[in-house]
This record gives sequence, structure tokens and C-alpha cells, in this order.
Amino acid sequence: MGSPIRERMLSLLLEREDAFLSGEEISRRLNCSRTAIWKHIKELRKEGYQIEARPKSGYRLVYRPDRVAPEELKPHLRTRSFGRRMQYQECVPSTQLLAHEWAKEGAEEGSLVITEEQTDGKGRMNRIWHSPPHSGIWMSLVLRPPIPVTEAPQLTLMASVAVTRTLRRETGLDVTIKWPNDLLVGGKKICGILTELRGEQDRVQYVVLGIGINVNVTPDFLPKELESIATSLAIEGGRTFQRPLLIAAILKELEEVYEGYLDHGFEPIRILWEEAAGMLGRIITAQTPEGPRRGEAVGLASSGALLLKTEEGTLPVYSSDIQI
Amino acid sequence: MSMKMHELRELIRLVDESSIEEFELDNDGTKVVIKKALSEAPVAPEQQPEQPVQERPAAPAPAPSAPREAAEPREPEPSVEQEEETDLHPIVSPMVGTFYSAPSPDSDPYVDKGDTVEEKTVVCIVEAMKLMNEIEAEVRGEIVKVLVENGQLVEYGQPLFLVKTD
Repeated sequence: MGSPIRERMLSLLLEREDAFLSGEEISRRLNCSRTAIWKHIKELRKEGYQIEARPKSGYRLVYRPDRVAPEELKPHLRTRSFGRRMQYQECVPSTQLLAHEWAKEGAEEGSLVITEEQTDGKGRMNRIWHSPPHSGIWMSLVLRPPIPVTEAPQLTLMASVAVTRTLRRETGLDVTIKWPNDLLVGGKKICGILTELRGEQDRVQYVVLGIGINVNVTPDFLPKELESIATSLAIEGGRTFQRPLLIAAILKELEEVYEGYLDHGFEPIRILWEEAAGMLGRIITAQTPEGPRRGEAVGLASSGALLLKTEEGTLPVYSSDIQI
Repeated sequence: MSMKMHELRELIRLVDESSIEEFELDNDGTKVVIKKALSEAPVAPEQQPEQPVQERPAAPAPAPSAPREAAEPREPEPSVEQEEETDLHPIVSPMVGTFYSAPSPDSDPYVDKGDTVEEKTVVCIVEAMKLMNEIEAEVRGEIVKVLVENGQLVEYGQPLFLVKTD
């Protein structure tokens, strides 16, 4: 995790833009010694920032690496609790595993684990989630919703609604949801959401909401076997996106939608989900534990189950892989 | 309240199709209680109550005598048998979803028959709408029976494992 002084020093340098900031001024405003400043400058350089130091003039920020570290995120955060506590490392096996550990140690609601690169990113049933460095959003959020366990599956739909709305607004791309929570652009996956719950019979201890978004992943970095099923915001949008801005926007929207869900229940989410879904009215095949079911996807039940209109009537689908 | 027969039938049908186990309606002195029979829980037919008794390997008492003894209330043996049965703690599913016995298709199951578990031991995952619910044992003891198959759809409240508690 970055130190608070380093974060503030970076924001001072950013404020000054191309001009020099004197050591004296930093020392006065951050209330620290010149030696301490020098130490933090060296640390920032290690993280990839290029800082020019000129005698009598001071320091100037020349180059800023594309990072999602706390010092890059915090200036953009507009949330109450989401992301206010953060664990950041350049590279981790899986943000999901770290978030579970943190939650077991008592991490508060809204605690966020975020990284530049995952070496062992987790999908559902331990499938691999490809997460190349500095090109995506790989993060896991700890939630402690005061809801019954039976309603917890609605959280996956809630999250898909929040992320879809943010990505549509911030990128202008036609992002749609495939039930329950895969985000697609042009039929290819752009974002995966993995929600894991620990709880007792009737009480949620905590939920880890994992979100993986291919942001600036270029075609070269997309493995061949994923080419036909996955894409990125940059590939689809024809430009790169600033990850810290996207993350701050997602966290803000997520927090609002989540609070709305806790206050008003699932119905508003259900309506938003149906608006954002790209599969309603289409004939789909749902692979359910009882075998494949074919029918028209007509909407969401009040539980969040997908309503499938089949020859035998309208069935609620709780658990299934969907083929459109 | 005057409830029409077709309304009552509809009510029974709805409760029957739901995961609700017991439904009670009290309105202006008319009371309707619908309670699902236990046998309706999706337990395979071969798991009749007698079977666990027969399955016990070391049952020194000759089997035919058991029913007769059961008829005499003061006999100690059947009551022991019964106590053993009631000692078994069911771990039930907290929601509707798919039961997964292992974290991934090619890994070992979280627990098997004969394994000892503690309160925090994860015994399985129940998944609905891609929410992966890691179910903890919540009791200490030994898994004596796994009641459902990997990939099976389970109902709210459906027993998944039987645990002989410590």
C-alpha cells in the first residue's frame, strides 16, 4: 500500500503540472523533512514515475505510469465507503483470495483489493481469468449486506447492472448483460463478475464481489483461444481508457445501486437489469442441472431467476449456463 | 373469509411448486395450514428410513427381531437406534441452486463420507445466479452420509449431508 505522504506528494506534483515544485514548499505543506522527501521521490521513481530533480528549482513530474495504485485512484473517488480502504500490490496471484483473507480478518464493507496483474486470476469453479499487467481492472470488493442468504444471488445481478451502466456511460459502447452477470460487447465477453459468499444458514458473513474488466487489452495480448469469445473496451472503442477514472466511476455507481438495493429491495434492480439485458425476446438454450432447456428468455422473476418460456410453460432458471 | 375451492387448489399448487415448506393463513377465523410431507423432499427412494440401519456393518442383533422389539416401548435397543438417528445433524442448503461437491471439476471433493469436519470447514458450494455460496459445516463431527450428487439442483432447506456430531 502507498504511504499517505507519498500520495499527497504526488497530488502536489500533479497540481503543479509542468512547473517545478520546490523542496521547501513540499516540506512545508506536508510537514516533513527534506530527507524524507528525497526518500519518497526515490520510491515514486521505483514505481515508474519519472521525476526530474533540479537544484534550486525543485521537482517536476515528467511521466506518470498507467497505474491503479491508491495515489492514482483516491483523487477521483467520490464514494462514501467503497474503495476507501484499499489493498494494492503491483502483482498478486488473485485479488479474490486476498479479499477473502482480509474479510476473515474483519475487513469493513467497501474494502477493496486491487492490482495491476493477476498471475492466477480466478473465474468460477477455479477457471482461469486471464489478467495481463496494466491493461485491465482486476479488483475484489468486500460487502457485508444485511440480507437473508436466500436473496444473496440477487447481488450478482445488482453488480452487473451497476458495471453495465457505468461502462455504457463512460465508453459509449453498447454493453449488454447475458444472464446472470456476464457483460458483452458485440457478443464477446468484456467483463466477468465472480461473487462468493460466506455465511451461516440465514445470515451473510461477507461477500467478495470480484470484477474483471478487459480495458486496454490489445489483440496481441488476448490469447488465441479467447479471440472469438472475449474482447476489450480498447479493441471495441478504438481508443484506450484511463483505468483510475473508470474504477472510480464503477465504485460510485456500485455503491449507489447497492444502497438502493438495500433500501428498496430487488424490484428497481430487476427493471434496470431487464433494460440492460441483451437477450430478452430471444430463443436461448439454458444448460440446467436437469438437462438443456430451450425457450424464449422473457424476463427476470422477482427472485432474480431467468424466466424461460418453453413449450411446457414458463420456467424459472436459477442455475445455468446460457447459450444465445 | 370465504375461500373458494379453486382458490384453495391454486394455493396448494403454488405452495407445492415453491420451496416453502409450511404455509399458514389466518383470516377472519378461517385458518388454512399447508404443510409439505417430509417425503416430498427430493430424496431418492432408495434412502428409505430402514436402509441406514441395515447399512450399519456391525449390527449384532438379528435383523428380524428389530421390528418386534420396536413394538415394545421399554426395550432399550430400538431407543438407542433411534437416538443415533436423531443424533445425526443434517447440513441443509440455505438456498435454491446447484450443488457442487468440489471447488472445480477436476479437484477432490471438499468432504467425503468418513471425513471429520469443524464448524468452519467448507463442505460444498451451492450456486445460484453465479453466486458461489461456500457452505460451512457449522457443527463438529463426522460426515456419515452425502445425500446429493455433484451438479444436482437442490432446494431451500434440503439436507445435503448427515453429520454425526461430537
